[in-house]
Amino acid sequence: MTTTDIPAPAARKPGATTAPKRRPKRESQGPAWVFLSPWVLGAIVLTLLPMAVSLYLSFTDYDLFNPPRWVGLRNYVQMFTEDPRYWRSVLTTLTYVVIAVPLQLALALVVALALKSMKRGKGFYRSAFYAPSLLGASMSIALVWRAIFNDGGTVDNLLGTGGWVNKPGWALLAVALLTVWQFGAPMVIFLAGLQQIPGELYEAAAVDGAGKWRQFLSVTVPMLSPVLFFNLVLQTIQAFQVFTPAFALSAGKGGPADSTLVYTLYLYDRGFVASHMGYASAMAWVLLIVIGGVTAVLFRTSRSWVFYASEGDR
Amino acid sequence: MPGHRTTGFCASAAALVLCAMLAGCGGSGESVGGGKVVLRYTWWGNPDRAERTEQAVALFEKQHPNVRVQTSFSAYEAYKQKLATQAAGGDAPDVMQLDYRQIDQYASGGVLLDLAEQKADLRTGEIDAGLLATGRLDGTQYAIPQGRGTETVVYDVKAWKASGVPLPAKDWTWSEWADAMRALAKKTGKPGATDPGQSEDCFEVWLRGQGKSLYTKDGGLGFTAADLARWWTFTDELRRAGVVSPAEQTTQLDGSVENTPLGRGEATADANWDAPSSGYLALIPSGVALAPMPSGEDGTPGQYFKPSMFLGVGANTGHPKEAAQLVDFLINDEQAAKILGATRGIPVNESIREAIEPQLKDFDRTIADYQASLEGSLKAPPQAPPSGDNALQATFQRDYDQVSYERMSPREAAENYVTEAKAELRS
Repeated sequence: MTTTDIPAPAARKPGATTAPKRRPKRESQGPAWVFLSPWVLGAIVLTLLPMAVSLYLSFTDYDLFNPPRWVGLRNYVQMFTEDPRYWRSVLTTLTYVVIAVPLQLALALVVALALKSMKRGKGFYRSAFYAPSLLGASMSIALVWRAIFNDGGTVDNLLGTGGWVNKPGWALLAVALLTVWQFGAPMVIFLAGLQQIPGELYEAAAVDGAGKWRQFLSVTVPMLSPVLFFNLVLQTIQAFQVFTPAFALSAGKGGPADSTLVYTLYLYDRGFVASHMGYASAMAWVLLIVIGGVTAVLFRTSRSWVFYASEGDR
Repeated sequence: MPGHRTTGFCASAAALVLCAMLAGCGGSGESVGGGKVVLRYTWWGNPDRAERTEQAVALFEKQHPNVRVQTSFSAYEAYKQKLATQAAGGDAPDVMQLDYRQIDQYASGGVLLDLAEQKADLRTGEIDAGLLATGRLDGTQYAIPQGRGTETVVYDVKAWKASGVPLPAKDWTWSEWADAMRALAKKTGKPGATDPGQSEDCFEVWLRGQGKSLYTKDGGLGFTAADLARWWTFTDELRRAGVVSPAEQTTQLDGSVENTPLGRGEATADANWDAPSSGYLALIPSGVALAPMPSGEDGTPGQYFKPSMFLGVGANTGHPKEAAQLVDFLINDEQAAKILGATRGIPVNESIREAIEPQLKDFDRTIADYQASLEGSLKAPPQAPPSGDNALQATFQRDYDQVSYERMSPREAAENYVTEAKAELRS
């Protein structure tokens, strides 16, 4: 918007993206802060402060009833060296992430591609496919899911496999499928991304003799890669924090035989069932650091596969 | 630098925001409604219990016009977590219902008031001394039991009779129980009972039948890995033989009768507490009966009368006198007892129990008769479990899951449990 009022864009060098130096009127920021204050205060009181407290608690033994007792790094040491169930929950979570995220993104992309090429009824189907994402976070849907995958449920009747939620080898898949089913959010983002790809690129590719599949690989995927990356980061972060489906499908226990005891469910169990708030806080901080690390790694690898059109003419 | 105008503007806007926030925060804490003392009273339970409790509370308010009682209730799991959070924030209710497993934690955490301070308003003379002692910790009376319950082998009368297997004897032992289950499984083609291996309660009954206990007097573990391994080997063999329910059934247990194998029509018997067993009637209209839990091989009874629900008063209450009056009313008032019936178990006040018992109807009657049949033959209840027990009940189930899904041997799982339990009880 700043470029519109600059006469004669003589210096339109590539990379000259910074706004022209214009002396900002040094007005008081006071009113801005006043208007921001509800959110700033909210962020401090409801987010930063509790985080600081939880960091402190992670170095204590705290059972909610007696005052926290400083134990230094004991919670962390116990977690890494003495608690086999902790490592089982880590492994379960990683398995879940590896299953759920790619499946969900693939499904979202396929549906978005199908919707893009639709001539009529696009709005309806877009809403219809998005609906599960609106419903999915609710407990009631998770309970329905449990009924579907239980003994004598729909899946048992159709496939004769017995109830998945009662089989240690299958329960986590039922949890993952509940997440995959909620592909609405990434789908809508994919759809928006697809509609941004200029039609000329496809025309040019077609003229060069590229078939549909070739067009997908050489035009759609690179042009969509920033969106793909965005969805990947977002869904990965969310997948690491999965809680509700695992909680509801296992009736809060992470069973059968700990097969759906994902990280946050074990955290909840330590904190609210076993009243070890210090240990739970320590687990939360480790999770935060791990998610930060995974996100950083994703960003690092993105340099080699994410293509930003704006950089194209560099 | 901001000018004069903006400073004033800032200040007034900030003041406005603060006012709004403070207004939002108000309303909690010490409350006096229209010059009346306001008590908060919370419990867990189902709508039936809620309705009867509300009626009793209304009667209390009538008798004490200066007091208003705010009630709230929820299901047990949710209640437990909410109460713990409130207590941690120093905002425990004035009068709260507590489970046996919570007494130690809440009392030692300073959440509960010493009820001896309110002796004048809270009479305990007509409660059995042994039962009353279950609300005591280190000599201080922190809570009063409201009722008592005991475990039972509840069974589908019609199905059991049809199978031709002799009905349970009053003094059956665990091996007689196992024989009966084998015979039932053979005759009916489905497991005789729920796998008792997952239940810490059943294990306790079995353990007490051998003269041992779950916990020692000083809150340590009262049994060894070898004891637990023997119990789990016993149940594991029965499960493998199809005599008790398979892992896929057992893992679905969630405390509700609907999800037990008996409730689903997948077994003939179950072990449960007596009061909640009323729920089976809706699922098995032809009727259920209550038999005692099996005893040790030498006839030592393992089951006991467990105080089923306690009432405690918050240590931070602003109205200890009125809170004690409410507790007294709920336990010792005959009118209240009539309204409440056996909704929290058979009343603990002995003269009230005598007055009420002939009037009990339906399943309340069945429970009363069952308890009467055990009167005098059971051993004293153990003292309140140590606070770690809250978490260990779930751990017990999980570790047995590893056995029933055949991922660990009973021995390995038992050793795991003992290690985890020791760590839990130490912390």
